[in-house]
Amino acid sequence: MRDKLTSMTDAIAVVADNQTIALGGNTLHRGPSAAAHELIRQGRRGLEIVKTAGAYDVDLLCGMGVASSVSAGFIGFETAYGLAPSYRRGVERGTVEAREHACYTVIAGLRAAIQGIPFMPVAGMTGSDVPAARGFRSVVDPYSGRSVVAAPAIMPDVAIIHVQESDRQGNARIIGTRFEDVLMAQAARRVIITAERIVDGATFEAMPEVVAIPGFMVEMVVEAPRGAWPCSCAGAYEQDDAFLAEYVAASQDADRLHAFVRDHVLTHDPVSV
Amino acid sequence: MIAPGTMMTVAMSRLLRDGETAFHGVASPMAMVAILLAQRTHAPNLVYLNITGSIDPHPDRLPISTVGPELLRGSRALVTLADLFDLSARGRLDTAFLGGAQIDGQGRINLSAIGDYARPKVRLPGGAGSAALMPTAGRVILWRTKHDRRSFVERLDFVTAAGNVDRVVTPLCVFIRRDGSLAVESIHPGVAPETVVASTGFAVETDAATAITEPPTETELRLLAEIDPNRVIDSEFRTSG
Repeated sequence: MRDKLTSMTDAIAVVADNQTIALGGNTLHRGPSAAAHELIRQGRRGLEIVKTAGAYDVDLLCGMGVASSVSAGFIGFETAYGLAPSYRRGVERGTVEAREHACYTVIAGLRAAIQGIPFMPVAGMTGSDVPAARGFRSVVDPYSGRSVVAAPAIMPDVAIIHVQESDRQGNARIIGTRFEDVLMAQAARRVIITAERIVDGATFEAMPEVVAIPGFMVEMVVEAPRGAWPCSCAGAYEQDDAFLAEYVAASQDADRLHAFVRDHVLTHDPVSV
Repeated sequence: MIAPGTMMTVAMSRLLRDGETAFHGVASPMAMVAILLAQRTHAPNLVYLNITGSIDPHPDRLPISTVGPELLRGSRALVTLADLFDLSARGRLDTAFLGGAQIDGQGRINLSAIGDYARPKVRLPGGAGSAALMPTAGRVILWRTKHDRRSFVERLDFVTAAGNVDRVVTPLCVFIRRDGSLAVESIHPGVAPETVVASTGFAVETDAATAITEPPTETELRLLAEIDPNRVIDSEFRTSG
């Protein structure tokens, strides 16, 4: 298989304005932060972000004007830091659209795309205002006659997934929790893997079951050490609590956020080669 | 005086049953500790599930983020979040712990928005999995670290999720849902019945005959201190939306 190792700059250049982008990881854990920083550097606009539960990456992209809608079940910094300030401000001012989901309807939508069908019936959702607010319709089971909510397919234009190990062909190993990353990789039109380290693919031959995402589904691989920072990356590093506290404080105000990102975020990632 | 976080966590723990499957999601330190406490007390065969996909982990340090990789430690198998929603969808998840920024008298929750949904006064995080889990889990235990009329309301601004709510645990009391409506089951020690009524936006009845929540035992307090020496449960009082 061909060598897919790419610079972060060239990989993120394939993302076009107004596309739908799935981001791997969950809340403060193994999100593709370095890729999100590059989206800011390249000035992307109008993105729809897909994630079951997001925090730093989603909030940052909302605050920096990169994301204009968010399809997710939960956006927040959990009990450590509370609400996501820039996401919240964007929705309240109408610059960001909250395309609210239950996490399970994100999963169901990805599964529909994976299976090449337009929707996926999903259990539950009764009594919730979410289906009406989002225009999720119901279908009638042709066998029992019962009604069930139909989550529309979610086919991201690009899935960006940060992993601990990948070979140059994109065979990607996730250590610890995979979250929805495998589903995102299968549902998306294009897949970008960012990896803590590039490994010799021959090492996977003795244990191919550890590979979560097979290389043939991957278009580009980027070496990105500490690429989930300030989120945690299982087996590599923990979340950077001191930085996250500073980030959440800066995110309370758009001007402060822009200065903070300029001085403390975009200066952080190693220059890609 | 029993710390409210202690009383709530112990009350939540006691509601769990031995041998059942129990799940918590993001932003859920109290549910995490309640499950770990139940496994050490009356429910050693409870199956502990969470968003990391770990099963019955033995964390040596508790994360404040309840999706943290600390919750992988000691797990002998790993499933995905999709697997856990599927488990609930087919009726095999016994108990789910969920929260709400607003809770109404039927035990329905709002975690979406305060004010007009389209242009909200406060955009909240969203219900995570609750709209899918509340109708499908065998039972739902809600908890909320604020018990006031802004949290326990007559009318929700938006119904994020509704379903099989069984109990609601607050710093003041435990509600039980009977015939579709929340009623006070017990009031925590030291809390006046009229405080519960005055702090609740929907109609509830209490009187001198209302039960008092059994205070934590010495064993529960000792185990709680062992499980959560840094009091991650108290983080919920700092940031609850």
